[in-house]
Amino acid sequence: MDTLGKILVDGALAAWWLYEAIIAVLMAGFSALNVVLDPVLSTVLRVLNPIANIAGDVVYGMVSVLSPAWGLVIISAITGVVMLFLFKYTSNQTAIVASKDAIKANLLALKLYKDELRVTFLSQWRLLLAIARLQWHMFKPVAIVIFPMLVGLSQMGIRYQWRALRSGEQAYVHMYLDEPLSHEVALEPVQGVSVEVPAMAGEQDYAWRIRATESGRFALKFLVDSEMIEKELVVGDKLERVSVERAGANWVTQLFHPIEPLLPSSSPVSRIEIKYPDRESWFYGSNYWVLTFFVISMLVALVLAPVFKVKF
Amino acid sequence: MKLMIFIHATVSSMRVRGLHACRDTAQAPDKSGLHFALGSFKMKLFNVAIMALLMTVAVSCREAHTSSSLGPRVVVVGFDGMDPRLCVRLMDEGKLPNLAKMRDAGGFKPLGTSIPPQSPVAWSNFITGANPGVHGIFDFVHRDPSRQCAPYYSAAETVEGDLGWEVEDFNVPLNFWPFNHQPTQTLLRREGTPFWDYLDEAGVNVHIYDIPANYPPSKSKHGHMCCLSGMGTPDLLGSLGGDSQFFGEGERSRTVAGGYIEPITFSGDKAKIRLLGPEHTFLQLPERVTIDVTVYRDIKQKSARLEWQGQTILLKEGEWSDWCRLDYELRMPPFMPASHAKGICRFYLQQVSDRFRLYVTPINIDPSDPAGQVISEPEDFITDISDALGLFYTTGFQEDHKALSNKIFADHEYHEQADYVLEERLTLFDYAKQTYDDGLLFFYFSSTDLQAHMFWWDSDKKHPIRSPEMAKKYHQVVEDLYQRMDGVVGQVLEEYGETATVLVMSDHGFSTFRRQFNLNTWLRQEGYILPADCKSILRVSGKGSVDWSRTTAYGLGLNGLYINLQGREKFGIVTRRKRDAMLEEIREKLLKVRDPEDGHLIVKEVYRTDEVYHGPMTGDAPDLIVGYYREYRASWSTSLGDISDVMVSDNTEAWSADHCMAADEVPGVVFSNKPILSAAPQLIDLAPTILQALQVSPPALMKGKIYLK
Ligand SMILES: [Zn+2]
Repeated sequence: MDTLGKILVDGALAAWWLYEAIIAVLMAGFSALNVVLDPVLSTVLRVLNPIANIAGDVVYGMVSVLSPAWGLVIISAITGVVMLFLFKYTSNQTAIVASKDAIKANLLALKLYKDELRVTFLSQWRLLLAIARLQWHMFKPVAIVIFPMLVGLSQMGIRYQWRALRSGEQAYVHMYLDEPLSHEVALEPVQGVSVEVPAMAGEQDYAWRIRATESGRFALKFLVDSEMIEKELVVGDKLERVSVERAGANWVTQLFHPIEPLLPSSSPVSRIEIKYPDRESWFYGSNYWVLTFFVISMLVALVLAPVFKVKF
Repeated sequence: MKLMIFIHATVSSMRVRGLHACRDTAQAPDKSGLHFALGSFKMKLFNVAIMALLMTVAVSCREAHTSSSLGPRVVVVGFDGMDPRLCVRLMDEGKLPNLAKMRDAGGFKPLGTSIPPQSPVAWSNFITGANPGVHGIFDFVHRDPSRQCAPYYSAAETVEGDLGWEVEDFNVPLNFWPFNHQPTQTLLRREGTPFWDYLDEAGVNVHIYDIPANYPPSKSKHGHMCCLSGMGTPDLLGSLGGDSQFFGEGERSRTVAGGYIEPITFSGDKAKIRLLGPEHTFLQLPERVTIDVTVYRDIKQKSARLEWQGQTILLKEGEWSDWCRLDYELRMPPFMPASHAKGICRFYLQQVSDRFRLYVTPINIDPSDPAGQVISEPEDFITDISDALGLFYTTGFQEDHKALSNKIFADHEYHEQADYVLEERLTLFDYAKQTYDDGLLFFYFSSTDLQAHMFWWDSDKKHPIRSPEMAKKYHQVVEDLYQRMDGVVGQVLEEYGETATVLVMSDHGFSTFRRQFNLNTWLRQEGYILPADCKSILRVSGKGSVDWSRTTAYGLGLNGLYINLQGREKFGIVTRRKRDAMLEEIREKLLKVRDPEDGHLIVKEVYRTDEVYHGPMTGDAPDLIVGYYREYRASWSTSLGDISDVMVSDNTEAWSADHCMAADEVPGVVFSNKPILSAAPQLIDLAPTILQALQVSPPALMKGKIYLK
């Protein structure tokens, strides 16, 4: 037992080390890639987000007559159909059919000539090639679809992941700065929002405890040194989009928090965050909405693929 | 359930769409179309039939659930310590209209309590419908005679598990074949059969909330019983009373009864505190796991910021936080995932300026994620409640009376905290009512006991620590509470008065606890404990230790008196032949003891347990139960075997009222919306009465009488 224990402990330590090394390499790779990616995607999102916001408002305006659950079902289903068509017209359908046929043919060959070694090897080689070709033909449409898909998901996320504060509810607001104590900050009074505990500095941020007293969309006005910075606060009990964070230019945060304008790069403030409550529902609530979305859109795509003659 | 509704809705709407499709095709004019139309007409009929069938099934299920199959109902509200004298006075003054309504219809009697009238004993009488000779709970504290008189908590015991597999500095239990290491377990020591087992067996639904003396919760064999355990449920640190943590500037680090007091030292306006968690028992050298909390203060605006595990809260001076989650990580060998203990607590920022003081409630087991700690039956009963209500107190003792005794709380702070407990329980009671259809609903309120212990004062004599005005003011808190509870009863009567048997009961009454009697000091004075300079019966060596070879009797617990019996106690010397005479001698002497202050008699009754208890557990009981007059109780020190110099003294604790007296000094109450037939109902009568009201025959073992019409 002692030896077993030692083997397990050493093995686990080695596995951890390996895992951490891989993560470190991946992170370094992403950082390096990000140097190139960030300026491009950040600029793209700067243009795309306002359009996506308007489109999101229009789409959700239309489904707002329905319950949030049905809204999600319909949007997921429509997305499924749109994806299907995007796939149809961005992929090489003939090549996909050809690759699939080649896979079938070689599988058949493997079965029929299993005694002839030469044919078997050849078929196995061809099968591998066909699979690789199919993967390649799939990659192109996926690469084209993935970015608009993320933008669409982000529009859903800002509606389903969190919910607006209810009137009477309390929340925390955090403003992140490099050195909090070297700046003067204040949250100006706004009708409809009471500040219960004024700014208290932590290591990297100032925090406020606020309480919403009326429904509506409010602009919280922060005075940082002599600069005025605004942050939106949404209070109400309908399905409304909320902006959890207002941040500076960085494509990842821009992607997840598309609503508010970017903080100026000259500002000492790196981001302002409101801790909105998670939306609670097993179907369309926090985190569950993603699952629901994928299941419904995939199902719709699978069911309708033969109808619209899409091969994948 | 929600999932079912959704699927049902989707299926129905799909069927509706199916019908439309059929109708469209049916309009085709040609022959084949006609054929198709007939076919589709059949389909339409088929669809309609299926829909009708589905709807019928759904409706009948719903019906079955709501009306036709509803069985008899009994709603029992248990107010711990509700006192008949105070009830009668307040009813006469017109302050308890709902209770008075039941009284006027013949539904009120004082309720005979247990001997002794301590909550675990009394509630066990209620639960088993039997006396302590059957259920084996005689006091809060029992002793182990095989170790002479080593005291232990009476209602539950912890059985140490197997050591497990030694790896690095861990002992990893392998609870699978071929190792089958047994984990450490807590077992309920109460014997006898709880009355709800008979209901469970008969298929009657049982919903029980917070019943004392039932931790760990008893199991439901037939799946009709759900239960939330109450008094006796430990906190995450394993403490039965609940251990709070207090951090104050200038404090000395120390452990007190009821918690931990620690210094907090600021550097600038920042400090670190460490919240104690459970013991990590998988370590070869077990230690408590902790969570570091960073504290920032702002003296000018009198506020503080607390940060731990990625969570931040801000508090103003005098504010309580909401419930906060704590995740204690119990590290394991590197090849195993760490395990976690989930707790919740509330912070109370008492003071920022001058002297920073921060109180943290006992770390309660997280009801939304008890992580292996069983505090309800079935185990998901509590998580279902938490899904609906969020976080709430789960420890057995929720009112932190020890913080008041330790002077961490002032009177008004204790009142505020106790009131919060009540608010939470009232919300839970609403939930209990909403989820109750038929069978038994039992709901327990601790407020009437734990607020009374601290605030009750109905004596003409001077309060040892409060001015007469303050004593009166705080006794009024108890009266206000009774009025509030009367309102709760009013709601119950409104909702269930016509359709259920409603019982409102308490386990015992209340009295001022002004003078404390050290039984062991008296025993030493009378020569039963030797030598004459003995300071404690638990001290076995050195100065002040007890000489068991000459000691013939000793006191332990709040009412128990034991003979140092040969063949039972490890160092027993009194023979069975001499036992009887000695018991009579002690009884007679005790009944004559007078308070040197004013000559008042102290002991009202001395019960011989071989006379008042019947059942297989009687042999484990104390030999005598000492029943005091009102205003008197066993002293704090004697209950754990200490011997003080003074035999009778003032009780100067914040705990200024009690009920551990003679049983007929502190009866409880029973109210019902049905006339009570018995002239002197007893606690043990309730179980058979409830069974009878739910149409289940009480077993022959239950000796209580049925007393409702
Ligand atoms: Zn009590």
